[in-house]
Amino acid sequence: MPVYKYRDVSEMEDRTWREPGDPSLFKAISATWDFARRTTRPQFPPGVYKHPSRASAEELCDEWERRNFESFREHRSRR
Amino acid sequence: MDYQKTREVLAAFEREGVTYVIFGAVALNLQGLARATEDLDVFLAPSAENVSRLRRALRSVFDDDPHIDEITAEDLLGDYPAVQYVPPDGDFYIDILTRLGEAFRFEDLESERVDFDGLEVSVTTPATLYRMKRGTVRPRDQGDAERLRLRFGFEDD
Repeated sequence: MPVYKYRDVSEMEDRTWREPGDPSLFKAISATWDFARRTTRPQFPPGVYKHPSRASAEELCDEWERRNFESFREHRSRR
Repeated sequence: MDYQKTREVLAAFEREGVTYVIFGAVALNLQGLARATEDLDVFLAPSAENVSRLRRALRSVFDDDPHIDEITAEDLLGDYPAVQYVPPDGDFYIDILTRLGEAFRFEDLESERVDFDGLEVSVTTPATLYRMKRGTVRPRDQGDAERLRLRFGFEDD
């Protein structure tokens, strides 16, 4: 893996972007999603949830995220 | 998120002729920035026939999950423009929107066809993604908006 050097932290951001459709982008997406899935093991209650607004949907997502985080911490503390 | 499952869902949308646009984190990924996410956000053209196509597409991927029948045009075109579907495995979910407050309707979204590992899908343009994310209050979305601004040189209106 090559080493990249920067004069400023703000220049580093550009390295993480790839061109749409670039095979290296798909590899990066797949690896990132897979790593996140294996480490956090998120679980959501199956079904359909209806909301009058996006904000209401986001509230439920936040609640799921909170529960998943607690479960992740519990799992880690048992190891 | 399961990379293959997400691609499979989008392939089913294409096969069934669903009129949709991906926005949110998956759009950000396909526009060039790989980052973790737990959901697929799709904006749906608001018609009963399109919702019907969406159900057909989801049934073909999730083994006729009976919950899919609860996704109705009556809701999505009526009082519930935001519907979340969590498939039986429960390891990711799909956010389905037909409008986003007063700010965005399907016809307001600029989109383009983008390659997803050999599959052409409809994705919001970076400029639209930026407009959608910059006005939100969640720190994660604000971070995405800032990354888009730096990458594409967007200026606020």
